[in-house]
Amino acid sequence: MRWLRALLGSWRNRFIAVFVLAQLLLPLRYYVRHRDPHDERFAWRMFSPMRMVQCTPRFTLAGAPIDLRSEFHEAWYEIAARGRFVVVEALGAELCRRHPDQRIEAELACTYLDGTQRTYGGYNICSVPQL
Amino acid sequence: MKPRSDDAAVKPRFAFELDVPAAKLAFGRVVVFALLAADALAQIRHAPRYGAGFNVAQLPGLDALGPGRVGYGLGELVLAYAFVLIACGVATRWLVPLAAVIYNWLYFGSQLDSYQHHYLVAMLLIIACFVPWQREVALDQPVRSWALRLMLVQLGIVYLWAAISKVDPLWLDGSALGGQLHGSLRSLIDATIGMRAVAILVPLTELALVLVWMRPAWPYLASLGILFHLGIVWTGLEIGLFAWLMIGLYLFVVPDRVYLAVVDRLAPVRARATELAAALDRRRWIVFAVAVVAGLACAIACRLPGAFVIAIVATVCVLAAGLRRRRVVTVALAHLLALATWLAIDRTTSIARDYYKFWGGSARRLNDPAAAETAYRHLSELAPDDASAHFNLGRLLLAHDDVTGLDELHASQRLDRAHARAYIAEAQWLATHDRLADAVAAAQAGVAAEPNDAEARNLVTTLLARSHAR
Repeated sequence: MRWLRALLGSWRNRFIAVFVLAQLLLPLRYYVRHRDPHDERFAWRMFSPMRMVQCTPRFTLAGAPIDLRSEFHEAWYEIAARGRFVVVEALGAELCRRHPDQRIEAELACTYLDGTQRTYGGYNICSVPQL
Repeated sequence: MKPRSDDAAVKPRFAFELDVPAAKLAFGRVVVFALLAADALAQIRHAPRYGAGFNVAQLPGLDALGPGRVGYGLGELVLAYAFVLIACGVATRWLVPLAAVIYNWLYFGSQLDSYQHHYLVAMLLIIACFVPWQREVALDQPVRSWALRLMLVQLGIVYLWAAISKVDPLWLDGSALGGQLHGSLRSLIDATIGMRAVAILVPLTELALVLVWMRPAWPYLASLGILFHLGIVWTGLEIGLFAWLMIGLYLFVVPDRVYLAVVDRLAPVRARATELAAALDRRRWIVFAVAVVAGLACAIACRLPGAFVIAIVATVCVLAAGLRRRRVVTVALAHLLALATWLAIDRTTSIARDYYKFWGGSARRLNDPAAAETAYRHLSELAPDDASAHFNLGRLLLAHDDVTGLDELHASQRLDRAHARAYIAEAQWLATHDRLADAVAAAQAGVAAEPNDAEARNLVTTLLARSHAR
């Protein structure tokens, strides 16, 4: 207890404690509570197997495919192709804004390093905004 | 009243500070911030990704605060300038926090920055605000810093989680590493211990490096860490300057005695440097004027977008510092070095060229012809030998019937005699402007340039048929 009191005895020490705790615990979020296995930000998962996932984001407007590269900068497409849900959802939300009252279907088809495949979405993202 | 020493004995103490020779802090500062300056300038080529009306920030709710193309480019230029000044030990108390704010804005402002090491740098810069970079003591004297220890703890945490992330069958069987490694290192590994063994050795090494923040481990971990990151450099993975930055950070882990020995050995050099500094200080206003003028000349010659504007602001700040007569020579020379660094990196890399090429390309794809035209005009001025720039500019100009586009296409044809595309573009425009004979000639020139180009051949056939039909 005395050690803990010393640890938190000054603003400097409190800053250190909060910083270290935050950095130690933040990556846990990826392992414990995440809905997107592809989003490895803040988890220090450099060169991970998940980094090698290859996804194809597809959006259709009234059944016709949307060319994402002509709607958004190519870099966003590349991030979506890494399977990041939050980006795919934001692209969908933006498309819904640009084409109001339309049905825009979003689908993310991913192939993992071990060869397994999985598809996310496949429904109108304007009414269900999350994959 | 009890004596002070008794108080200290009774009171529990949280000893986090690190005492290191001033030479270590100074040398590490120079290397790390110089690398950061180079990295900041290298990022300018990616500025055209930013803006264009869409953004997803790293943190929810910050989408609107993300940088645009111009803001990102200027931010990186300011960072590069500030990092050089910090490397020189100038105004670190102001510049490190300023750099931390700009860096964190650029990083957290958009998920377009997906480099994990930029997140690490964002964290390290926050901590670096509390490192006494400018403590004026002799190089062999100790400087006490808790923030330096915290920087190393941060590195230890990175290694810990990096090792944990590799406890995965797809990593441990070598397939994840094998899928990312190419080139000579890949061949060497395959021919010797095999990918699987390396895949196991990597997390074990990272686990050992978790102790990087503990001084007793430094003699062992300094060389291990530097070799580990040199190995990553050798992989040729597209991770920017990450591995070099980590090697730079290991300068804080190299045992103190190495620095003390070097300081001792370099005593005569330091004596001469002190004499030189004194000589320069006697002529400080001449040095100041030369540095300011030469700095502006560097900024004018620098082709990075926004360089001159930032240089003017920086020059005003330096003049203000000069008027306050604070470390006039050091400030002036650091200012000149920062602007000369812009120029040197601009002229020895393709950053400015890439910036306009990427901007033009994305603007064209996103159907913004005005922006694309501006970008390609800059690019063709910057790189008059770039056939692609002239081709794209020519097409954009002809799209609104600006006949100077033909000159651009001709320039492209002169520079690239092996491809038909500039001839095709010319022929198509001429054909739609009632100049069929010229169009046929241009299309035939296209076929001559690239006989296997189906589009050029079809165009010749179509145009000849139209010509005969008349």
